[in-house]
Amino acid sequence: MKLADIAQVIRSKNAGPRRLTLDLMFATDADYQRVAQSPSLSRENIGARYRVAANDVTVIPYPAGRAIKIVLARPIMAGDPGDRDVYGAQQHAPLLEVEI
Amino acid sequence: MSASTRILDEVRRNRRPMRFLGASGQLGYGIPTPAFNAGLARKPDLIGCDMGSIDIGPTYLGKGEMATAPAATRRDLRKVLLGARSIDVPLVIGSAGSAGAGPHLDATLAIIREIARAEGLHFRLGVLRADLSRDGLRAAVRAGRVTGIDDMPVLTEEEVTEAAHIVGQMGMGPFRRALAEDIDVLIAGRACDTAIFASLPTMLDFPTGLSVHMAKIIECASLCCLPGGRDSILATLDDDGFVLESMAEQRRATPVSVAAHSLYEQADPYTVYEPEGRLDLSAAEYAAVDDRRCSVAGARWHTSSDPCVKIEGARRIGERAVLLAGAADPRFIAQHRDILPAVASVVRDLVCEDAPEDYTLRFRVYGVDGVRMAALAGEALPREVFIMGECIAPTADRAAEVVRTLKQYLLHHGYAGRLSTAGNLAFPFTPPEVSLGPAYRFNLYHLLHTPDPDALFPLEVETL
Repeated sequence: MKLADIAQVIRSKNAGPRRLTLDLMFATDADYQRVAQSPSLSRENIGARYRVAANDVTVIPYPAGRAIKIVLARPIMAGDPGDRDVYGAQQHAPLLEVEI
Repeated sequence: MSASTRILDEVRRNRRPMRFLGASGQLGYGIPTPAFNAGLARKPDLIGCDMGSIDIGPTYLGKGEMATAPAATRRDLRKVLLGARSIDVPLVIGSAGSAGAGPHLDATLAIIREIARAEGLHFRLGVLRADLSRDGLRAAVRAGRVTGIDDMPVLTEEEVTEAAHIVGQMGMGPFRRALAEDIDVLIAGRACDTAIFASLPTMLDFPTGLSVHMAKIIECASLCCLPGGRDSILATLDDDGFVLESMAEQRRATPVSVAAHSLYEQADPYTVYEPEGRLDLSAAEYAAVDDRRCSVAGARWHTSSDPCVKIEGARRIGERAVLLAGAADPRFIAQHRDILPAVASVVRDLVCEDAPEDYTLRFRVYGVDGVRMAALAGEALPREVFIMGECIAPTADRAAEVVRTLKQYLLHHGYAGRLSTAGNLAFPFTPPEVSLGPAYRFNLYHLLHTPDPDALFPLEVETL
């Protein structure tokens, strides 16, 4: 199953101009548990999708919000020349098709 | 007696739960009137609005301009000002004018004074400035008291000198000092959004952890609800926790929706760093009061032994001009990765014939890789693309020269197998070249370590 078929929310945004934060939110505890335990969301796999080093990826489970937070270092600071997404609001797309 | 003194005296005399109305998370983009009026009817003790953010990028800070439209900003300010004065409670606005530097604050104050005149309002206005002294900052750089945030490069004195505007994010201290000065309306330059709401209850010894957690949620209005939205939200705070209730009937604050809000635009859902310390949400608890209200408890506060202020600055890097054009020829699209650099090279040879290569030219090809920071290899090419060529040059004339030359040579560039010899591009309108004015980048995003952060933010009080 693809992540887009199981998550209720898959979103991205800046957390400050140098970090990108991706939130995955789920409708039920079961959905949350299933994804939280999946190896697809390892730092290595996410880093490969965003072409950043695994060391620049943080994955934080947040059961109170039935959510998983992923934080990446932005390759280009928000608003710097060459940036493609100043708010970082469209960088969730590479996660949609992750197989769970 | 002004509103801040009245509320402080009243709660000191007769301690009771306090009510806070989060009127708007982005003042200047419209405040829905029914929910705001429903909030006023609940007699809040303070009305707060956040007006700015760093998310909008460096240009507003650099240019000293608001991101919001003047008419919409005036409409929102009028609404909250009239509302607060009608029930005689403090109105607190943070990060005035989008970026919170001097020009943004002054533009906001000009609107406030104009509304007061037009409406015959009289009140005491507190103003907190957020601009930092360059001399003080250069001295702090020399003394090693400035550190980068999130791997930001080490700050130099030259960057401090070159920044167009430099602001610090003030915390609760300056707001408390202002609220103690008998004011009705408080307008702050760049500020922590939490300080807007957490300053008053912490003056009255409500727990700091709960006050800051409440503030962090309601500064976004009803965004923490299901469905999230910009309607005003009411929080009722006591010594054990706070209860959230959207002032729009259809928006429900549920334990999961409120807990999930801690994720929003934060790198860590369990920790929020403020100048004076850190908010620890690891023991936060969320419980339903009923279908639409959620109670929250458990947040803890840890005062820092090393207070520091987040500083932001933007530096002009040139003038920006863009070319906007589409293409629908499959052969052109298939070869665009070779065509674009080839044309850029032709342009360079022409515009640099008698001038140095003093500009940058970048392309974004929408439909292919214009949006994602890292497009995946092997994706099929689309049937149409939109191409943006972006030049940043020392002068507006130079940037315009580059994109106008680019337009002509990209339009008529010959490539292998070309059938469309009358032109490669579709222009949605002419001129397809647009001059966008000065371009900026954030050159300060650092922490200033200082034993007395409050001293950086002077208070002015005026009577209208």
